Amino acid sequence: MVSTTELYAVDTHVYASRCPRCGALYHPAPMVCKTCRTRRDPSVTVFPDFDKVPMEGPCKLLTWTRIYALPDGIDRPSSTFGIVEFPNGLRALGQLMVDEPRSGAALVARSGLVRELVGRDFYGLQLFSA
Amino acid sequence: MRQVGIVGIGHSKFGRMDFDLVDILAWSSLEAMKDAGISGGIDQVFVANMGAGAINHQTAVASSLVSRIFLEPAMAETVENGPASGASAVKCGYMAIASGMADVVLVTGGERMREVIPWKATDFVATLTHPDAEYAYGVTLPAFGGMYTRAYMERYGLEERHLAMLAVKAHRNAERNPFAHIEESASMGGIWDGPHRDVVNPIMADPLRLYDMCPVSDGAASLVLCAMEVADRFPKKPVRIAGIGQATDTHCVHNREDILDLKAVRLAAERAYTMAGLGPEDVSCAELHDAFLILEVAISEAVGFWKPGEAKLAIERGDTEIRGTRPINTSGGLKAKGHPVGATGVSQIHEIVKQLRGEAAREDRQVNDPKVGLAVNFGGFGNNVVATILAKE
Repeated sequence: MVSTTELYAVDTHVYASRCPRCGALYHPAPMVCKTCRTRRDPSVTVFPDFDKVPMEGPCKLLTWTRIYALPDGIDRPSSTFGIVEFPNGLRALGQLMVDEPRSGAALVARSGLVRELVGRDFYGLQLFSA
Repeated sequence: MRQVGIVGIGHSKFGRMDFDLVDILAWSSLEAMKDAGISGGIDQVFVANMGAGAINHQTAVASSLVSRIFLEPAMAETVENGPASGASAVKCGYMAIASGMADVVLVTGGERMREVIPWKATDFVATLTHPDAEYAYGVTLPAFGGMYTRAYMERYGLEERHLAMLAVKAHRNAERNPFAHIEESASMGGIWDGPHRDVVNPIMADPLRLYDMCPVSDGAASLVLCAMEVADRFPKKPVRIAGIGQATDTHCVHNREDILDLKAVRLAAERAYTMAGLGPEDVSCAELHDAFLILEVAISEAVGFWKPGEAKLAIERGDTEIRGTRPINTSGGLKAKGHPVGATGVSQIHEIVKQLRGEAAREDRQVNDPKVGLAVNFGGFGNNVVATILAKE
């Protein structure tokens, strides 16, 4: 039996996915490995899921923007986004938590609350100055 | 494979339209049929639409359109391929005729986006992004436009003033297009180097400003396609569909090896050129998907008009003006004509047909003696692109 604590527990971390056969890394997770064609099963019924690899840590800012026309669920006058690259070559979009960003800057990625909608919180990568 | 031509074109006004979506589709469809000199005899209807289910609470719009204008028992399908739905529907029409399944096809693209408030329209378009790795963050298509623009400027030295010059051109062309959403001129003094620039033209997705972006529009555009072997049934000379190319790229923008390489645009154009037996040097005029003005710049390079980083020189020389050596977005483009997403790909081809027929002369925006036109319809943020080449017979 699943306890309510477990049922409502939210994993607030962001992960990359690693192919269990060849070790190729992905973000977000595909349904098949591009390199060795190993299949992934999120329900872990027919095949195993890919391995979870935490995506936090140092990264480099490739480009960024700050938008002033915001969608629902963002309670701020503006929102800043960046695309970063990690030392292992993985790239990701993240919420940029830097006042004056600069392409090429060294950053640190951490998981955090990025968006709140009614009945659902979204956790994702937040990018801070290194 | 049979050759396919376009023998009828129709268009509604773009902007805010307080009509039912299917009435808008019906209007432009009837205009295209009138232009083709027919009131029936359509074998197949393709409707391009991205958001009726999400924003208009209506589905199966192709079936509804057929009934609204009494085209039963024509075959009918709705085609959804994000902002590239329009050109995808034209491709479906081409395939239906080329295969011999149909002789005459009506393609109509349309959208009614202003039924909802602006942030809902922005949110609806953003649903084409990856649900976990992009959409969940609240990222929007303008945000991708901003990130792309910054990376492009930093690599190639494009300046904000180049985008302002394109905005002025787009507004000038749209002013002469009776279907355009934006009917006002813009000047460099007003939007770029005037004292009130940041009020008139504020930053929306840094470094993109208000005048660097398309409006949210309602509207529709339509084409009547036929097999070239039956084209003499119609009053106007057909414009031949010489080539169609399509290509896809990664769903997530960050997963591209080079985020500035519009690979799907490059491949779609190469495939269309190969099919047509033509090259970029043969193109007389082009409609390129400038939802953000940086895309006119980047797409014009990806289709081979200029080397990477050299589009800014073409802008400075005035090459892309109607009277320039390579006119681009003579309709005003998405930027000023408007961007009802499902309509856009069809509307781009409508403009190319108008130019090849010489009918844009009536609106004082005719390209000098065009022979070949290219339209590029850009889906997602470049993850599904359709290029279409039309040739004057």
